[in-house]
Amino acid sequence: MTRDTSSGSPLSGFDLVAAGPELSREGPQTAAEPREVRPGNPTVTALRQQFPDAVFRNLICAGDEDVVYVAPERITEILGWLHDDADQQYDHLADVTAVDYGGGKPLEVVYQLWSIPHRAALRVKCELPLDALEIETVTGIWVGANWLEREVYDLFGIHFRGHPDLRRILMPQNYAEGHPLRKDFPLRGRFSRAEQTRRALTQNPEDYYVPGEIAERVPQTVEADGGDATGAEGEGDVL
Amino acid sequence: MGLEKPGIMGAGSPAFLTTRLDFVVNWARRNSLWPMPFGTACCAIEMMASAASNYDLARFGMERMSFSPRQADVLICAGRVPYKLAPVLRRIWDQMMQPKWCISMGACASSGGVFDVYSMVQGIDTIVPVDVYIPGCPPRPEGLIYGLMMVQEKIRGESLANHAALRAEDPLAAGRPRAGDEEVADLTGPFGNSTDQNRVSGLVETDAIGRAEDRLP
Repeated sequence: MTRDTSSGSPLSGFDLVAAGPELSREGPQTAAEPREVRPGNPTVTALRQQFPDAVFRNLICAGDEDVVYVAPERITEILGWLHDDADQQYDHLADVTAVDYGGGKPLEVVYQLWSIPHRAALRVKCELPLDALEIETVTGIWVGANWLEREVYDLFGIHFRGHPDLRRILMPQNYAEGHPLRKDFPLRGRFSRAEQTRRALTQNPEDYYVPGEIAERVPQTVEADGGDATGAEGEGDVL
Repeated sequence: MGLEKPGIMGAGSPAFLTTRLDFVVNWARRNSLWPMPFGTACCAIEMMASAASNYDLARFGMERMSFSPRQADVLICAGRVPYKLAPVLRRIWDQMMQPKWCISMGACASSGGVFDVYSMVQGIDTIVPVDVYIPGCPPRPEGLIYGLMMVQEKIRGESLANHAALRAEDPLAAGRPRAGDEEVADLTGPFGNSTDQNRVSGLVETDAIGRAEDRLP
């Protein structure tokens, strides 16, 4: 018995996935029509007007995800404007990560933003050449970038200038084999398994989470206007 | 304690009293094993299911999961162990009182499983001595119960006559890997070369490494 697919039965989940996000959003009746040109994202347009020389290119990824490539040396300026401008208000930094495409291509730092008031998402990317893996920290804009940037530093070796506490976060503190998510990192690591086992057992687990260290740590401050909130000199709420 | 000395029935043959005492002690030990659950991954879900009402580990004497290593008898390592967790596992094993046993539950704890990568311990037997390996990904609760019953069988065969030698621990070995370098290399050797990665020994660099700044001080 074959399933009748021609008599107006609703599309299955497989059909929706195969047809992509256009079909799943608009429904089956517009699928056969030529795809309409998507109106430009207002944020991307405004960003291009505000920073004409720092926004290199933009593209739409996976149907409806806007990606903007910007100049890495002006990242705090651009992200600060996206955070503060009344029409943008990207107040939630969902993720900071990086991509290594290998083959000597530059590493990409990826900032995934979300605007809670406008319910809009934006992905900002910076390309860093392999000989200059440095970028300004955005912990002054979003305090939550602290651990995300530590993770990128740990796994990709990108240094964030001005980061308050740039240490490894996932790998052990005494890890000496490099940055594991780089494309040129051997899958099993650089040292022999015996050396890795020996080094692993020389670490002291209490070094990571001692209550005294947490007590001595300068508390993070958050200011209501979202200004710079990096140090202890702020008078904002203590988290 | 005198029990290691030749018994009253002659050298080499265990005394009647010793064997009867063995029976009583082993009976008590094997029927009151308290597991130390070291669950790090999906195997721990099956371990919890084993302790729940349907499978009910308490029937076999595992009356209570002992979350304090000092009151535990058998360490159940359920799940993958990354190198960052290796000193924790070793310390818990060192903190457990003798007599103690260790179960490696599942493929990852026993051999690293599919995680033949830079961050994962390739078998906890490089770190702690293991009595019983339970295969599976994850093993069903029946598998864990069978493994625990194998530990019970092992206890049944132990004797107070060689107890001191069997349970001897070098205090200086605490916190150190159980296996030497050659044994670690043997235990952790890759099964085939599916990932086409060259193994690197020591600090020798290979062609795969392009950047000098990868090497941290």
